[in-house]
Formats: sequence, structure tokens, C-alpha cells
Amino acid sequence: MGPAVDRARPPSPGRLREFAFPEFRHTRLDNGLGVLAARVPRVPLASLQVLLPAGGQYGSLDAPGLASLHGGLLDEGTRERSALEIAHQVESLGGSLVSGAGWNMAYVEAGTLSRHRESALELLAEVIRTPELPVDEIERLRRERLAEILRRRGQPGSLAERVFAAVVYRDTVYGRPLIGTEESLERLDQDSLRSFYRRQIGPGGSTLIAVGDLDPEESISLVSDAFGDWRQLAAPEPPSIEAPALAGTQVHIVDRPGSAQVQLQLGHACVSRQHPDFPQMTLLNTIFGGKFTSRINLNLREKHGFTYGAQSYFARRSGPGPFVIRAAVATDVAGAAVGELLFELRRIREEPVSREELKETQDYLVGVFPYTLQTIDGLAKRLEALAVFDLPLDYYDSYPGVLAQIDENQVLRAAREHFDPENLAIVAVGPAEELRPQLEGFGPVTVHQP
Amino acid sequence: MNQPLMSNTSVDHLSAECFDLERHTLDNGLQVVLHRDPTLPLVALNIWYHVGSKNETPGRTGFAHLFEHLLFQGSENVGTNDHFRYIQQAGGVANGSTWYDRTNYYEVLPTHYLDLGLWLESDRMGFFLPAITQEKLDNQREVVINERRQKMDNQPYGRAFERLHELLYDEAHPYRWPVIGYVDDLEAATLDDVREFFGTFYVPSNAVLTLAGDIDYDRALGRIEHFFGAIPAGRPSELPSAPPHARDRDERREVLNDDVQLPRIYMAFQVPAYGQDAWYAADLLCAVLTEGKSSLLYEDLVYRRQLAQDIGCYVFPTELTATFALVSTAKPGVEPAELEAAIVEHLERVAREPIAAEHFERAVNQRLADHYSQLQTLDRRADLLSLFTTFFDDPAAVAREVERYHALDPGDLTALAQDRLAGRNGAVVTVVPRDAVPRGGAGVE
Repeated sequence: MGPAVDRARPPSPGRLREFAFPEFRHTRLDNGLGVLAARVPRVPLASLQVLLPAGGQYGSLDAPGLASLHGGLLDEGTRERSALEIAHQVESLGGSLVSGAGWNMAYVEAGTLSRHRESALELLAEVIRTPELPVDEIERLRRERLAEILRRRGQPGSLAERVFAAVVYRDTVYGRPLIGTEESLERLDQDSLRSFYRRQIGPGGSTLIAVGDLDPEESISLVSDAFGDWRQLAAPEPPSIEAPALAGTQVHIVDRPGSAQVQLQLGHACVSRQHPDFPQMTLLNTIFGGKFTSRINLNLREKHGFTYGAQSYFARRSGPGPFVIRAAVATDVAGAAVGELLFELRRIREEPVSREELKETQDYLVGVFPYTLQTIDGLAKRLEALAVFDLPLDYYDSYPGVLAQIDENQVLRAAREHFDPENLAIVAVGPAEELRPQLEGFGPVTVHQP
Repeated sequence: MNQPLMSNTSVDHLSAECFDLERHTLDNGLQVVLHRDPTLPLVALNIWYHVGSKNETPGRTGFAHLFEHLLFQGSENVGTNDHFRYIQQAGGVANGSTWYDRTNYYEVLPTHYLDLGLWLESDRMGFFLPAITQEKLDNQREVVINERRQKMDNQPYGRAFERLHELLYDEAHPYRWPVIGYVDDLEAATLDDVREFFGTFYVPSNAVLTLAGDIDYDRALGRIEHFFGAIPAGRPSELPSAPPHARDRDERREVLNDDVQLPRIYMAFQVPAYGQDAWYAADLLCAVLTEGKSSLLYEDLVYRRQLAQDIGCYVFPTELTATFALVSTAKPGVEPAELEAAIVEHLERVAREPIAAEHFERAVNQRLADHYSQLQTLDRRADLLSLFTTFFDDPAAVAREVERYHALDPGDLTALAQDRLAGRNGAVVTVVPRDAVPRGGAGVE
């Protein structure tokens, strides 16, 4: 037997093994295409991804869904090959190819066994440089998306999201669904998609990210072979999105009689990913609603048993993305749950977080960083942020240190500046009849049909 | 025991570190698997208790999962919400999950916090009961009932899987009821149930502890002995018995009305348990049928004929028998009966005609890539090692997964389809929009 076990207090930690952000290579081809390449050893896989300046933010108000449909179509046929021929080629080797668009960027990503990297890269170049955007594929994807819009109408989370965006962002592109609407999808045609392609897609403003069991130098040379002679006339201008502030708090109920539960979504427009307060906001949000022991989860779940979980996040967007609080709660406590959430939101703006709470959150965020870098996708995501938000290349080397130096006054200042408990949208999906009396005290109520 | 990887994947370079491992059993029966990979300064702890919903009885369902929640509510030396707090302060992540066959608990921590993880897990294995109160039970019961509402009762199609399993498995079958349980049963759970369950199942001899990551074997084993060695052994759980698969029974069907916009079909069949050759055949068949745009069913039903909005298929890796399920949403305007007939036609064809080499090879390559992909994280590797030890008493078998797929040929898939899918002896649940009456084959029971 060894020494007696002292169970009364947690064992003290051993010696920290330092961690350095994985090495990566960055270069820019003469035509403007950025390249980020890193090696992740161990498993024989690779991810090759191109980010293109064709996300939803580049769309126009009168054509919601254009960027998304365009992104989805990129891998659906080239001048040389049909969508099915492409799929057969990729999948027969155990690989995958997906394309699409988020708010910031469009993407085409090939996942492959690393020994097939050359053919994957050639195919990626073909898909991006010579897509056909064929009429029959446009029709097929249009029908698929119309059905998806229909499906989302039955989903409490999607319903809350749609109404929330419309209320918070009104007449800006963020106020329209990324996937589009039934009306807009009916109008999109090959001409508008092809002209969007001509306007947006080229090496300028685009980045290729190669991560996996790959030699970075070889990756750069292969990318140069596949994309070096790609030309474009002018790189697209990044858009500027201004979010209008809400005047007072508004309550929006999406009527869903007979729901077993109420889906809540609260929040307002907040800062862009490029805002200098991003590290302070990360800490603030983690304390408020970004971890299991966050204030709102301990309050709503562990103290009151109102919910399986309450979370908050602020979206990483080039423009002023939303700050969102979400929880699915029992119907008869919806009003009480909103009251607790607003209480916590006001409290974090009124008094500084305790030094202990701050310290444990800093230790969490700094300590968990290597864990998020175990996988090819985990590392690729970090590199992606460098490219999309134009962060300095040593960003992740200094990130843990920056987080660790923030004090409680900086967190309080960020909360006062960027959280706004008196001017927000409260969206509740559930039975309007039971919800209205519980929620009308928080602000004027509008009832929507799904 | 050092276990190098087999030669079958020689074309791909999978680093040998992926499955360097040691195995031990403590005197109290706790099985220990150690896997060293120092790439990152991290260690994953993973414990499997060999108890899941299949160890429950009708009228007492959902208990294993409710119990998992309670195990995060502190123990003699760990305060109510302190488990997550300690882990997060250390820069770690933690969670647990309950399934048919097992309940797992895991942490991933910076290496220098290994002792913290061992202290937390050993405190709740050895000293849980003094901390449990009626208030904690009542609170977590509410949380779990809300979890059920959020994931099932308030989700479109949310009750379909529950009904599918109730139809596929007979009254006495331990896979019949949902892991999360029925609300009435959850309401009935008492503190005495909690104590008895803990004493029966949460004992060292019914558990496997795996450490994966930046560890030294001797030191790690010493620390495990230190924290777990004195916990009384208890007894391993016995496998509940399951009635054998009845080939000659009739298909069981049901139509559910729900707040959905598009009809969806759920089909399920019983196939052999995880670990048997036929399970791997069923899993490959899934990939042949629905994985990727060029798979048989996707290409025909979603891409070409556009009868379906989506289609997917999976086989559960379970211990007594396995559920093979196929799920497909109809396109607007398509009758579920038409979609179902098209699916059945394909299932009958794969049971009758040889599967093209192209499809078979694609499926094998996809499973190969899936397998490599999941080996990327220490947490997943640790979980797989606990699984292979619990089910097969052989952690090194993880490294042979790829071989299991390579050992098959297209004929094995045909045989599986003939044996299990073509006989119309499974279960079918059709979910239709409320007030809609489906025409054609899908009759109401």
C-alpha cells in the first residue's frame, strides 16, 4: 500500500508542460491567393479548403439566399464534369467534397486520405475555377431549399432564430435568412448566380487552407501548380453592415399551441469579430453563459431546474453579429426564466465579476486551448479565423497571454459597453395564450404565426 | 503489452503511437487501460460502467441516465457543482453519457492535472452515497424531464425513435424502452433506488478506466492504485438476456401524427450484435446505401428521382443485438407510401443481386477514413479502448477495426440483406403532418 489518500481537498497540479501553437506556413501567390499550410501527424488524412469572399454578407437585400445557393452550387458540376461524376470520383476514394456559404465567406472543402492530396487539390481547383452552375442543379437545389424552409417551420429553434434575426437586424442583410425565403428562391436564376460568381470569385480575398498529414512546403507548391495561373480583374470590396439599435425591449411570441416546452432566444446586435474588445468579450460571455458553470446555467438549470441547459454566445461575424442567450424551458416558468436571465444580464453590468470567477474562467480558456487543437479540423478552424478576420499571424501565440492579463474592470467595462439589457429582443416559441400573460411585463408583445 | 498496428493499411501512414498500450487489473477488479501519446500535453480519463438502460426494468426506465446526472452532483469530498468547476479551472473538459449498454464519464485535462481527474472519479466511485439528497434528486429529475422535452417531446419527429424501438423489440427486450426513459417512471424514482443502483453497478469490478495521452505508464498506474485501490470490489454486472430474433414474425407498423411539414419514414431491423462479422457487413451496407451523393439510395431517391429530401442509415454498436435503421424525409408532394415502396425495392434488390465492386470499395474506403478520423482525439481513443475492454475484454482489438472491414466481400453484404432486411419482419414508423391521412400502403394500427 502507498501513502494514505488525502481526499479532503483536490490534489495540487504537477509541473506544467508548456504548449506552443502548432507551426504553420503562410504565403500569398502572385495572383493574391493566400495559402495557410500546417502538418498534423498521426492519422493519414487531410483537409483542403478554399475560403472565398462570397458569404451571405456580400448578398443584397432584395435577393436573400443568393450567396447560399451559389455556394451550394459550386461543387454541382464544372465545364468538364457533372455533379454526379464529381461525387463518384471523390467518394470512391473515401473522400468528401462540400461547398456552401456562411455569413462571412463561401467555402469549398475536400476531405481526403492524404495520399490522394494531389487529385483532391486538382479537383478543388476545377470546381472553384470552372463551375458550370447548371440549370438542372439550380432547380434541384432550389427544391431542396424550399423543402428545408418548410421543415424549419416545424422546428422551435429555427423559428426563434428567424424571428430574432428579423427583429434585431430589420432591413440589413443579417435580417434575412441566409438560406433565403420562398419568394426570393423562386426568383434566383442562372444569370443572377453566374453574375454573382463573376463579381465575387477569384484569387483576391480568397485563401486556401491545407491541414493534415501533409508537408507544408509541398502543399504550397501543389497549390501554386493548381491555382497559380488563376486570374481576376478586381477583388470584391468587403461590405459595411450597420445594425440599427432597438428602442426598448420587445417581446415576440411565435405561437405554437400544444408545445411541450418553450424555446427562448434573447439578445441584440453586438460587436464584430474584429472589435478590439474581442478577448474581453470572450471572457465576459464565458462567465455569463459560455460554460457549464456559467451564471445562467447554474441559475436556470442547477438552482431552478427550469431547463436542461442555458447558453449564450456572440457570433463571429465581420459585421456586428448577434449576442444570443438561448434556453428551452418548461412552459409554466417561461416568464420566471426570462426574469432570471435579465437579472443576470443586469447584474454582470452593475458589479464587477469576482477575482476568483475571473481567474477560474481565464484558467479554463487558456488551459482548454490545446484541447481544441487535437484534430485537423480544429487547427484548420483557427487558421480560418486568421484569414477571414485578417488577424496577425502571431495572434495565437499571444492569445493566452492576452486573456490572462485582463482584469475585472476591463470585463465590467466590456459588459457596460456591449451588453444592453434594456434594449433587446425576447423571442419565445410556444403557446401564445399561456406565454402572453407571463411575458407582457417585459415589453410590447407581438404574436407571430410560424 | 505493446500493440503495433497491423499491416493492412500499409499504404496509409498511421503513426504507431496511435495504439501503444498497457493493460492491468487492480485487486478490486477495476480494469485499467493505459495508452501513451505525448503529442500534446493532455491526458484523457475515461470510465465505462457496464450499466445502461438495458439493465433497467419496465416501470423503472430512465434510471441509469438520471443516475448519471446525479453523479455530477458531488460526492463526500466534492461539493455540489464543484466537479465541473474543478475541471474547468484546470483548463479541462468533462461530461458523461448514458446508452443502452453502458454509462461513461470522461475528462480531458492538461497532463499536470492528472491527479485531479483521478481524485474526482475515485471520490464518486467510492464515496458518492454520503452526498446524495432528496433535493438533488428532485432537481435533476426536473432537469432530465426538461431534457426529454427539449430533445424529444418538443422536436418535430421527436417521438419516432421511441415508437420504432417499441415496435422492433418485444415487451421483454432490454432495448425496447428509450434510454432517457418515460416521464412516469422518472417521477417514481426514489432515493432508495439511487442507493441500490449505486451499490449494484458503480463498483470497481464493473468498470473500466482508461487513460490516454501524455502519461508515463508506471507513474500513471501508481496514481490509479493510490486513488482507486482501496474501493471495495463489488461484482461485475450480468448481461440481461434478450429474446432471440424472430425471423418469421410480421412487420410492425404505425403512423404518428405530429407537428411536422413533411412526412418521414423510419424503418428498423434487428441485425447481429457489435463485434460479429455480420455487424460489420451491416455497417458497410449502410455506407453502400446512403453514404455520399454516389451511394445507391441517395443517388436514386434524393438526386435523380427526387422523392426524398434526405436519407440516412446507421447501425448501433450495441452488445446484445443491433438496430439497423433507415430514415428518409419525403419531398413536398410525395406520398410516404411511394417513398417507402422505392426504398423497399432497393433493399430487396441488394438482397437479390450482387453489389457492384465500385460501391463496395467506396464503402470500405469511407469506413477507413471515418475510423482514422475518430482516432484523432485522445477522448475518442480512450472511449474506444474502454468499449473494446468492456465488450470484448480486448482493448487491442481497436487496432483491428480496419481489418474487420477489409475481411468482408460484397457477398457478405448480400447475405446480411437477405437474412435480415428482405423478410419484412422489422418495424416501420411513418410520421405525417397532423390531420393528413396518408394514402396507400401505410395502414394505421
